[in-house]
Amino acid sequence: MTSLIQTLILGLLVGALYALMASGLTLIFGVMRVINLAHGAFAVLAAFLTFTLWQHLGLDPILSIPIVMAVMFTVGWLVYITVIRHVRGSHVSMTVLATFGIALMLEGIMGFIWGNTSTAVRVSYTDASIALGPLYIPQVMLIAAGIAVLILGGLYLLLNHTWAGRAIRAASANESGALLVGVSVATIAALTFAIGVSTLGAGGAMLSTIYPFLPGSHYQWIARLLAIVVLGGLGSLPGAILGALVIGVGEIAATSYLGAAWPVAVPFLVIIVVLITRPQGILGTRLREDAVA
Amino acid sequence: MRSTTALRAIVGAAAIALALSGCTADTPNNGDTIKIGASLPLTGEFSQGGLDTQHGYETWVEMTNEAGGLLGKPVEVIVRDDATTQDTAVSNYNNLISKDKVNLVLGSQSSLLNIPSSAVAEKNDMLFVCPSCGSPDMYNRGFKYIFFSQQAVATDQAKVFAEWIANLPPDRRPKTAAYPSLDDPFAGPVVEGAEKILSAAGIRTVYKDEYPATTKNFDPIVNAMRDAGAEIVVQGAQFEDGVNMIRSMNRAGYKPSIVYQSSSPTYGQQYLEGVGEQNAEGVFFSSSYSSLAKTNQNAEFVKKFEEKFGGLPPEDAADGFAAGQVLAAAVTAVGSIDDQAKLADWLRNNTVETILGPLSWNADGSPKGEFLVGQWQGGVSQVVLPTNVATTDKIVGWQGGPI
Repeated sequence: MTSLIQTLILGLLVGALYALMASGLTLIFGVMRVINLAHGAFAVLAAFLTFTLWQHLGLDPILSIPIVMAVMFTVGWLVYITVIRHVRGSHVSMTVLATFGIALMLEGIMGFIWGNTSTAVRVSYTDASIALGPLYIPQVMLIAAGIAVLILGGLYLLLNHTWAGRAIRAASANESGALLVGVSVATIAALTFAIGVSTLGAGGAMLSTIYPFLPGSHYQWIARLLAIVVLGGLGSLPGAILGALVIGVGEIAATSYLGAAWPVAVPFLVIIVVLITRPQGILGTRLREDAVA
Repeated sequence: MRSTTALRAIVGAAAIALALSGCTADTPNNGDTIKIGASLPLTGEFSQGGLDTQHGYETWVEMTNEAGGLLGKPVEVIVRDDATTQDTAVSNYNNLISKDKVNLVLGSQSSLLNIPSSAVAEKNDMLFVCPSCGSPDMYNRGFKYIFFSQQAVATDQAKVFAEWIANLPPDRRPKTAAYPSLDDPFAGPVVEGAEKILSAAGIRTVYKDEYPATTKNFDPIVNAMRDAGAEIVVQGAQFEDGVNMIRSMNRAGYKPSIVYQSSSPTYGQQYLEGVGEQNAEGVFFSSSYSSLAKTNQNAEFVKKFEEKFGGLPPEDAADGFAAGQVLAAAVTAVGSIDDQAKLADWLRNNTVETILGPLSWNADGSPKGEFLVGQWQGGVSQVVLPTNVATTDKIVGWQGGPI
């Protein structure tokens, strides 16, 4: 029983970080139907920015989050204006190609600036844990989960209680309808992309304190994040959060009870089962065009 | 509109293809220079070791040219990035041989990449001196041109360490062991070799499992080892997984008295920064190289490396340099590079003095020697075994505890 509870604790904490990182990916798809394959590379970029602030200014990764988010917001906006805007509305393969190209470009730039060697941020809470009898809660993961709750809570408030948020949801639900009621969908799309990359900035900052990373790490992250948003339902923020928690607990439980080789397979088996039984994902919405297809 | 979209798609695809493949063109060899080709993982998962190996190759080329070159000709090394993918490594070696017309090749970094790469050299009857070919699977294919320029294959890498543990007095010898390992043709056999010796000494295996390279969360693995009561952990690691394992062990409060990791602790400063000096303390590892060793050209190598790159050379850089020394010894002794079967025959029958010490080979190209056992002590990588070459007589447990 202790083992099961420990598995759940670790799984939920890992899942919370995944949720923070996946939220932007699903938000971007929801509004502009762009599968952003550069999302993993943006996460690694945020990790490197955090590393630089920590190494050169001694700034704690938690304190650097607002700076990293602001920088990533700007990066997201610029990438949207220079690349995504031109391919948005094209066939999905075009956006996939474009965002994959951005990922490769970012990998090259990061390698040029920081080198292609593994990097890690070590702070006082990296190795520390809170003991609860026979159980333990890793401090760094607890902090990451707390930040995930704060950022995702803020995102919820933004989407539901601000004009910009309502405009984002309107553009997501029905782009033509949003245009008709005066929403500037182009601006909203840029804002959404920037917000998506910005929230990922917080995830990348915490990633840097938990896992070593290098420019090429983004392939592993994008595979995980895509699995999460597909499981939760592409475009659904609550779905991404739920999917992240399922994948997080699934990975830890699979290692604990099936073996160390299984965490790679189990999430995808879960996804296959979900997609067979519920093709739109756990909380995804079935669209009219899906029904026609 | 449709044509614009198609044009964008073509341009985008071309840009990506260009980025992935790099630009290469036929560059015929003019005969005035000896061109040596190598594919290395300069990006991707194994880039840490790949870059170090590249530095070793470059240092060897510079020192060789300063000493008059090979066969009286200057040497040039052409390195291609394989991004830690087997297909690209194979493609790189094919291009180096067929388009760049290199005269000689040197191996890539990691058995994973060298297993397919060595087949390209074999097909082209080219000598393949390899700085990182520890997997025993390299030597059961009947190849004639492959030579591993370190002291022993992976199954024997932890041999000296495991035999030392097995010969500890019974009251100090651990009774249970855990063997987590990366699913990799090098890391797996290291652990298997150690387990064989430790099991024969009566040390019971209480945990053994392989994890894929994509594994990020080691907490459940650590929990399983801790719950199984393993007193010694022998991990077959690359780099990041070694760092992650130590971090997870700390978070779980799991403190086995003895920790051995392959590869990861040999990355020097990167490892210290990843796990922290106090957590590196007492970690055992096998090492092919010590910067303090009084071996052929080592003092000059260390000096040149510090001038070029700053800091002491890491193990992979030294292994790269040693591969160059082995290649040079064979070429110089034979006096020609036209028939590389003769170079291979010479290596099979001779010993080469390198910065790693003397190297000699079996008929299949696997080396005959033994590794050094290193241990992190006070932020310094010390050689602790065999005792006749040790740089210190002190051996401590993990995090400085007793054994």
